[in-house]
Amino acid sequence: MKKIIRISFILMCLLPCLTGCRPKEKNTVVVFAAGSVITPMKAIEQAFEAENPDIDLQMEYHGSIQVIRHVTELKEPIDVVITADHALIPTLMYAVTNTETNQPYADWYIRFATNHLAVAYTDASRYQDEVNSENWYEVLSRPDVKVGIADPRFDAAGYRSFMVVKLAEEYYGDPDIFFDFFAGEFRSPVKTNDEDGLQVIHIPEIVETKPNSHIIMRGASIQLIALLESGDLDYAFEYESVIAQHDLNLVHLPDQLNMGEAAYQDYYDDVEVRLDFQRFQSVNPVFKGERIGYGITIPTNSSHQEDAERFISYLLGEKGRAIMLEYQHPLFEPAYGNNYDNIPASLKDYVVPEPND
Amino acid sequence: MIEKNVDTFLIVTIILSTLVVIFILFPLVTTIVTSGRDEIRQTLSDHEVLRSLGITFFAAFISMGLGLAGGIPLAYILSRKKFPGKTILEGIINLPLVIPHTAAGIALLMVFGRNGMFGKLFASIGIFFTDHIAGIVVAMLFVGIPFLINASRDAFDLIDPELELVAQTDGASNWQCFWFITLPNAWRAILSGLVMMGARGVSEFGAVAIIAYHPITVPVLIFERFQGFGLQSAQPIAAILIIISLAAFIVIRTLSAKKNGEDDRS
Repeated sequence: MKKIIRISFILMCLLPCLTGCRPKEKNTVVVFAAGSVITPMKAIEQAFEAENPDIDLQMEYHGSIQVIRHVTELKEPIDVVITADHALIPTLMYAVTNTETNQPYADWYIRFATNHLAVAYTDASRYQDEVNSENWYEVLSRPDVKVGIADPRFDAAGYRSFMVVKLAEEYYGDPDIFFDFFAGEFRSPVKTNDEDGLQVIHIPEIVETKPNSHIIMRGASIQLIALLESGDLDYAFEYESVIAQHDLNLVHLPDQLNMGEAAYQDYYDDVEVRLDFQRFQSVNPVFKGERIGYGITIPTNSSHQEDAERFISYLLGEKGRAIMLEYQHPLFEPAYGNNYDNIPASLKDYVVPEPND
Repeated sequence: MIEKNVDTFLIVTIILSTLVVIFILFPLVTTIVTSGRDEIRQTLSDHEVLRSLGITFFAAFISMGLGLAGGIPLAYILSRKKFPGKTILEGIINLPLVIPHTAAGIALLMVFGRNGMFGKLFASIGIFFTDHIAGIVVAMLFVGIPFLINASRDAFDLIDPELELVAQTDGASNWQCFWFITLPNAWRAILSGLVMMGARGVSEFGAVAIIAYHPITVPVLIFERFQGFGLQSAQPIAAILIIISLAAFIVIRTLSAKKNGEDDRS
């Protein structure tokens, strides 16, 4: 008996060698991406790895602000950063010096896609038979309706959702929309003020809803999907691409509010979100209202620059574009390069300089 | 020759044991030591942290109470009665220990969520679970109760049924027998099971974060601070939770050990 065990143990050890399945030396490329691209990125990861067997992509998804914090504050070795708000890259990476290399954490980025914010719901959502693009803010404000919003401290979808509700006041001509939506819902109130026409939303340090609040908050918009599906939420602010990927119903927001139309930039920039506390080591970010733009960059301290470039080329190239389109998240063609001169040569084919760069 | 063998045996045993102790202690001690007294003091006056500590221990105590109310009878039945399907039942009770706690959170959400069967039932009497303290309690109860049931069942197993029989022939009712014979002989093991359950509850993250991210318990707060604000914000809270847990364990261990000594003498 002992002999059998011993032999089978040896065989088990030998098996991998015999079948030649020993893993080849692979370069690991660590990609930290915004949660809203998780579904198409999974497909891209598979396709890319199939074509590039020498590279192992390690994907991790968070709210966009979190993604950058993993680079600049948690100091993790990350090779590609994808955020749902390109403006975060200059604010949180250009402006922050890596003490080890004495360089900023990034010195270029590519704005490669947009998105539209919308309101997601399911067939089981309360008042789903009456909600539409004209009355959504009223339906969502009802006390028996549960609405999911991403945490504005961590996720771009979060602060953009607050912007949408504020912008709705002007669009629908009802100055109480924001108040009706949020007043009394948080332990520390979210305040707004008017600075010469600029609507400023102040996010307090503690963003926690009160018990029985009609608002439910999670760290990233993508985490709200499960709660929608379980029926714990009736509605949630989500990107249109995400809503389509999860086969949820959506209320289209008017172009003046959905933050995705270049033609309406003048509307979007009437609003701004500020984090009213100083906990971050370096900068206190201000989130300006503008058209949604996804940004991608390679942190300056990446140790796999070339492999990271290969991945980005794939994403921005024909095949990556086709996969993104398949998942209802079309890319810009060409994409826009910020600090164009610093962009790696291999990526310049897909990029034109940012118009006002 | 034999002497020598014993020696090497002892040496190897001691070396391996020491490695394990270092493995457990080193990360915990490092977390506390490198936190810095000022940071810990500052964190202890952080209203948010104190509130989270309050919520966490409050929820853990409620779950321990509920655990006692239901877990002790179940443990008693498992120890004293034979019935078909008992082995399967014992397996089921241990399920919460082996499934990922995120899966436990999802399972609880399906049942205690707004559209879940219990969720709807309790909503009619004004108890809600999603993002409510009751949600934290059920998550803690779910992941912790196997510790209590297993410890109590083992304790009941160790009691000589003869003892209960004698009491019953002397005219004690089942209730009296349980309160005056069974429980006094088993309470120490039950207490340590209860402490394990409470500790599991206090430290639970996965299930709690899914069903009730808010109000924020300490493990969720540590995660949020770590994710959102970095190591420096999260570490002192982690250190505080480690210190509190350690203190609680030492107090309860010494307490139950002492009582045990007294019991032996009587």
